[in-house]
Amino acid sequence: MADVTADPAQSKRLFPRERIIQWAPLLVLFVLLLLFPFFEWLEDFREAKDHIYLLDSRFFSIRNAARIAMSSAPALMVAVGVTFIIIMGSIDLSMEGTVSVCAVIFAFAFIAWGGTILSWAWLAIPVAMLVGAAMGFVNGIVHVKLKIPSFMASLAMGFVGTGLALLLTGGDRIRVEDPIFRSLLTERWFNFPVMCYVALAFLLIAWFIQSRTTLGRNFYAVGGGEELAHASGLNVERVRIMGFTLAGVFFAVGALLAVGRIGIAETATGNNFMFVSITAVVVGGTALWGGIGGVWNTLVGVLIVNVINNGMVVIGLPGWVQDGTLGLLVIAAVVMSTDRQSVSFVK
Amino acid sequence: MDMEKIKPYLPWITLITLVLLVGIANPSFFNPAGMVGLVADIVPLFIMALGMTFAIYIGGIDLSVQQMANLVTVVATVFLAPLGMGVAVVCIVVGFGFGALSGYITTRLFVPSFVSTLAMGFVALSGAKYLSGERALSMDATLRDESFGWMFATTAGIPNELIIAGLLLFLAWFLQRRTTFGRALKAVGSGELAAVASGLNVDRIKILAFAISGMFAAIAGLMFSVKLSGGDANLANGFLLLAIVAVLVGGTPLTGGVGGVINTLIGTLIVVVIRSAMVYLEIDATQQQMVFGVVLIAAIALTIDRSKLRGIVK
Repeated sequence: MADVTADPAQSKRLFPRERIIQWAPLLVLFVLLLLFPFFEWLEDFREAKDHIYLLDSRFFSIRNAARIAMSSAPALMVAVGVTFIIIMGSIDLSMEGTVSVCAVIFAFAFIAWGGTILSWAWLAIPVAMLVGAAMGFVNGIVHVKLKIPSFMASLAMGFVGTGLALLLTGGDRIRVEDPIFRSLLTERWFNFPVMCYVALAFLLIAWFIQSRTTLGRNFYAVGGGEELAHASGLNVERVRIMGFTLAGVFFAVGALLAVGRIGIAETATGNNFMFVSITAVVVGGTALWGGIGGVWNTLVGVLIVNVINNGMVVIGLPGWVQDGTLGLLVIAAVVMSTDRQSVSFVK
Repeated sequence: MDMEKIKPYLPWITLITLVLLVGIANPSFFNPAGMVGLVADIVPLFIMALGMTFAIYIGGIDLSVQQMANLVTVVATVFLAPLGMGVAVVCIVVGFGFGALSGYITTRLFVPSFVSTLAMGFVALSGAKYLSGERALSMDATLRDESFGWMFATTAGIPNELIIAGLLLFLAWFLQRRTTFGRALKAVGSGELAAVASGLNVDRIKILAFAISGMFAAIAGLMFSVKLSGGDANLANGFLLLAIVAVLVGGTPLTGGVGGVINTLIGTLIVVVIRSAMVYLEIDATQQQMVFGVVLIAAIALTIDRSKLRGIVK
């Protein structure tokens, strides 16, 4: 105890960077979950109202948990998609365009083929996923074959996607009113809407891909050291293209859930997904440099982002605070996850 | 002919070819008054792209310019009444400060510029929403004309807007070509490690480059806000893509080190011509974004210096 000059090697072993990155997000989530009810309690305490901490909280209730889960579900799918890309050390900024295009094409196909899941219209769901895959594939091809850095290739593809969605809709909103499809939102099992379980199922699929398939391991291999992966005979280009394609599929699932939630497909369906999903992935502890993290980190990250957004509304903070907070959060998360000894400069 | 030899002239060739093509299809395009109008219309975008050139020239990117301009439209509208023309100083300081902060986060905290500027963009958006109360604000017409009416007058038949753009271009060109700072920018863009090794204070240069980008974005926002006589947290949305396109189409590659502000002038003109061609071909506004997205990909693919990527493209 009195030994002030603690052995740095030992303290390093106790809290290595990887372990901190791994557990800090979960800790942050727990702190937030206890913090917002505290503010509620504080307010009632000042006004001398009866308020038992946590039990009387509006934030810390099943109803609000369902609300958070519901707003998290589409974002989770998009964020899981981009997680694979970030694990490879690349980035995908095309989600806003891809989500909009998938949502719009899904809505058009769904309505054209009958307008209810019980007819052939169910085919619109796999079609939307194929569209997502195709857009991701093109994105990957542009990035890998033209050798354009992924952030720029995907940003440009995102603009193309948004333009395409606008072209398809002409600025109109398309309503999807099939009660069976909308049961994603309206039907609740154990207080939570069905879409939460759908998102959970796809999260498990993503986890399976990440940990139990060669493709998943290859993502980590590419992210951990591309030259090494290449030298050990991995077709890095193919892995990258497949990663972007897979991400596209998850973006499409996110689009389907987003349409299920509000019952409308439009060009704006994809709005805000880019920043929220990147924030979620990074805040969850998947390092931008690649190789570290995974889909469970992303779940924690998405929950952190949505808990912050929801909690701020519950304790009555104005809406403008959210954007700034998320912005600072991203910066803080990237700073924390960066090993400064190993980085000489960034562009 | 070697592709590498043609490369520096490619933007010029593109511009001239496009102008000729559009001119042949639509001879009224060459009407001088119409041309001046077309160009004057795009001055805020040009100024924003000028600033962005500095960020890209050192091999970074500034994705916050659009939000920066949004914030400044609000700042300009809110503070026009108490400050009059002095509001321009406030706007420029805000832009410079925000840009410098992005630069600091990028260089000292090792956050890649596309993330740091994206995040700072949202901080700026936050500020814009706060100041505007999430409403569209409008300027007092008489106040606006008193303080900034001169912007839309003409001097010797040339719109003052164009003169401002010309002065800013000269300033940017002077900074880039005639100062040690400009030479240092080129060194950092050409090879950062070599620049560090030769004793340059690379961090300071990079922070300044981002600050300049923020400052020009702020000036663009100010002009835009005066032009539309108002401010709103979403007013300048849609500028980001065009600003990046203008820089890259002009021939400053994403990898930095070559090109510069004159290239951005050409790039902006190319954007103007493409835009007017699309209007002539009756490609409506909704499709233009798609076209520019594809143009962007083509421009990057043609200009990027692949030898600098050391075989790995992340």
